[in-house]
Amino acid sequence: MKNRMLISMPFIAALLALALPAQAADKIRVVTTLTDLAEWTRAVGGDFVEVRSLCTGVEDTHGVPMRPSFLPLLHRADMVVLIGLECEHAFLPALLDVSKNAKIMKGAAGYVDCSVNIPPAEAPRTLDRAEGDVHPAGNPHYNLDPVLAKTAIRNLCAALVDYAPAHKAEFEKNRDTYLAKLDTKIAEWQQLARPLKGVKFISYHNHWPYFSSRYGLQYVGTIEVKAGIDATPRHITELIEMMKKENVKVVVREPQFPEKLPKEVAARTGAELIKLPIMVGGVPEAADYVAMMDYIILTCVNAAEKAHVAAQ
Amino acid sequence: MRNEKEKTVRIYPSVVCLMMAVASSLEATETAFDPQLVMKQLQELRDNQQRLQQTIADQQKTIDALQKLMTGTVAKSQPPAGQGTAPPALTGAGPNGTPETAAAAVADTVRLKELEKKVDELTESSKKTFPSQFNPAIGLVGETIFSYDSNGNNTTANNRPGGFDVYQRSVEMNLSASVDPFALGYAVINGSADAQTGTANMDVEEVALVTTSLPWGLTATGGRFFAEFGREAYIHDHELPTVNRPLVLDRYIGGETRTDGYQMNWLLPTEHYWSLTAGVGDGMGDKLANPGVYREAGGLTYWAHAATFFTLTPDLTLETGLSVMTTPSETDRGGSITDPNGVSTATEKERRVGGVDVTLSYQPLQNNQFAGITWRTEALRSSSRFQFDPNGVPNSGDETTRFEDSFGLYSLLTAKLSRAWNVGFEFDYLQNPENHRYVTFSYSPFITWYPSHFQQLRLQYTHSDRAGSSLHGDDAIYLQWVWIIGSHSHGFTER
Ligand SMILES: [Zn+2]
Repeated sequence: MKNRMLISMPFIAALLALALPAQAADKIRVVTTLTDLAEWTRAVGGDFVEVRSLCTGVEDTHGVPMRPSFLPLLHRADMVVLIGLECEHAFLPALLDVSKNAKIMKGAAGYVDCSVNIPPAEAPRTLDRAEGDVHPAGNPHYNLDPVLAKTAIRNLCAALVDYAPAHKAEFEKNRDTYLAKLDTKIAEWQQLARPLKGVKFISYHNHWPYFSSRYGLQYVGTIEVKAGIDATPRHITELIEMMKKENVKVVVREPQFPEKLPKEVAARTGAELIKLPIMVGGVPEAADYVAMMDYIILTCVNAAEKAHVAAQ
Repeated sequence: MRNEKEKTVRIYPSVVCLMMAVASSLEATETAFDPQLVMKQLQELRDNQQRLQQTIADQQKTIDALQKLMTGTVAKSQPPAGQGTAPPALTGAGPNGTPETAAAAVADTVRLKELEKKVDELTESSKKTFPSQFNPAIGLVGETIFSYDSNGNNTTANNRPGGFDVYQRSVEMNLSASVDPFALGYAVINGSADAQTGTANMDVEEVALVTTSLPWGLTATGGRFFAEFGREAYIHDHELPTVNRPLVLDRYIGGETRTDGYQMNWLLPTEHYWSLTAGVGDGMGDKLANPGVYREAGGLTYWAHAATFFTLTPDLTLETGLSVMTTPSETDRGGSITDPNGVSTATEKERRVGGVDVTLSYQPLQNNQFAGITWRTEALRSSSRFQFDPNGVPNSGDETTRFEDSFGLYSLLTAKLSRAWNVGFEFDYLQNPENHRYVTFSYSPFITWYPSHFQQLRLQYTHSDRAGSSLHGDDAIYLQWVWIIGSHSHGFTER
C-alpha cells in the first residue's frame, strides 16, 4: 500500500502540472478581503486588474472561515487589499503565513492596507484582552462611512500606481470618475440622512461609529458586551433599562448575527428592528457600494420615522 | 498656547519612562526569563508608545487647526485680486484689518514652525529602534485536566492513574519571529507534570525554521517540529477538539508527529488546492526510531502527505488527505513491549503506517461563528515488522518475525451551538499495533464552552471497552481548562 502510494504521488503531481491554468497574461492579480474593496479595485484598476474577493459579502469580517481554497488565490496574487486596523486579524495573517507569496507579506509592496490616513475611532487606551480582542487597533469598520471610503479608494489607487506606473493616468482617471460619482451620492446621502440627526440606536456588533458620526446619529450601545464577546443576561438587562431611559427606538442587526437577542431587545423596548449589511452583498439589496449605502440610510430613516424619533 | 506647553512637559517623562522600560526589559532578559514579567514590560512599552502617539496626534490636530487659521488670516491680509471676483467671505474683511492680522499671521507662523519642529523631534524619537523591539512574539498556554477514572491504570493501560486525578498537561511557551526576510523561526517549550512524581519538566516540543520565500510554492521546514501526517496528529494537545488525542494517533504514531528532521511542502500552482509534503527525520512520535550507535539511511523515518479540498456548496466543504510513513530498518523503537497478558514481548524492527483522513464541514458563511457541523474521520493502518518472543526469554529459540497488521480509526462529529458553545461525539476503534486481536472501543461525548478566544472549558465523558486481552474497560470523566495569554495566532493548521 505504502509503495503504491509513494509511486503514484509524482504522477498525480505531473498530471496536475499539465492542468496548469492559462495565466491571465499582463493583468494585475488582486485578492481583496471584503467585497467593497473588490468593487473599488475593479473601479480603479479597470481592465488592468483581475480581482477576487475572499468574502462573498455575507461573512462577519472578524470570522471568515479559513479555507484551503484561498491559498492558490493568495499564492498567485500580485496584491492583497485589506481594510486594515486588524479587521481581518482572525483569518488573513494565518492565511498569508502559508500563502508562500513574498509579494503580499505584510510590509511588502503588494500588501495594501487601506486604513492608511484614516484616524481610527475608539483606539483602545490600553492593549489588554480584558477589553475584548477583536478591535485591538480601534474600530475597523470605516468602510460604512462613504467619506472615509474615499480615502481607502485613494490608498488603493496609489498602490496600483506604485505597482504599474505605466497605467498611472488610467488608474487616476478611473479613480476620479468613481470618486465623482461617489461625491454626488455623498451630497445626496447627506440630505437623505437629515432625519437621522440625533436618532439613538444600538446594534449587535460595534460596526457603526463612523457611520453614526457622519450622519449625526447617537450610537448608544451594542448587544455584544465588547466586540467579539457575547452578551450576558446582566448586560441585556442593563441595555434594556438604558434604552428605555434614553428612549432608544432603533435596533440594528447585522445579518451575521442571530436574530433572537436583537428581536427580544427590540420587543421589550418597543424599538424598530432593522437588518443592515456591513459590506457589499450582505443583503440582496446591497448589490454595489452605492446601493448598499442607499439601502442602509433609507432603512434607518424609515425605522426612525416609524418609531417617531426622526428629526424634523 | 499654554495647553501645548503642558503637553510637551508631559511628553518628556513618558520618553524617560519608555527608556527605563526598555532598559529594565533588557536587564530582565539577561538575568532570568520570567514570561510574565517580560509580558508586563512589553505591555508597558506598548502603553508608552500609545501615549506618545496620542500626544503626537493631538499636536498634529493643533497644527492643522493653526494651519487652517493661518491660511485664513493670510488670505484675509492679502488684498483682493479683483473687485468683482473676490469671494463673498473676503469682502467682509474690509480695509480695516490689514496690519493687525498680518502681525498675528507672522506670530502664528513662528509658533507653527516651533510646533512643527517639536513634532518632528517627537516623530523621530518614536522612530528610534531598540534591541528589544526585535524580541519574538511570546505566548503562554496553560492547560489543566481534572479527571476521574473508574479503574486503575494497571488494568486499563492508560498513562494517567485511575481514580481522581489533576493533570497539568501543558505549560506551553510559544515564541516566534522572523529570522530574516527569508525565514521565520519558532519554538514551543512545554512543561508537563510527570504522572509518577508530579514534577514538571520543561521540554522542547518544537523548535524549527520555516522558509518564507522559496520559489515555486515550496516551503522547507527544519529542526524539531510536528511532521505533516494525517490531520490531527500535528496539532498541539490544547488545540485538539477533544480532551484526549484519538487512540489510533496516540498508539500508531506515538502522540504528536514530533520529529527532528526536514520537511518540504509544495503548494501546487493550480487553481485547485493541492498540497504535497515529504520529509525525513529521526523518528516520529514520542520515541526515537534508532537510538543505537550507528544509523543506516534505512534507520531514518520517511513520510509523505497529500491533501486537497473541495468547495461542494458555498457552505459545505470537503477536505481529504493521504499519509504514509515508514522506518525501513529499526533496532527496537521504544524498547521491547510486554504483552498486556505478560507472556510474550515484541520488538519493532520495521515501521509502516498509512492513513486516510476526511473532513466534511458544514460552515454557513454568514453565521459560521454561531452554527456549523463538522464530521472528521481518520483511519490508519499499521503494518510493522516485529520480533516476537513468546516466552519472554531472549534467544531461547522460540523467537519469530512477522508483520503485524492492525487497523484503527476515529470518527468525530462536532456541532456549534453558538459562538461560545459546541458539542460533539467521538468514536474510537483501535487494534493494538503489536497484536491486532487486542481491541479497544471508546465513546466520548463532550461539550465545550469558549468564554472567549483565549479560554476554554471542556467536559468529556469517555466509556471504553477492551477485548482480547486481560485489560478492562473503564469510564472516565474529564474537565479540561485551557487558557492563553500573550501572543497567540490561531494558525491555518488549527482551522
Ligand atoms: Zn468589528
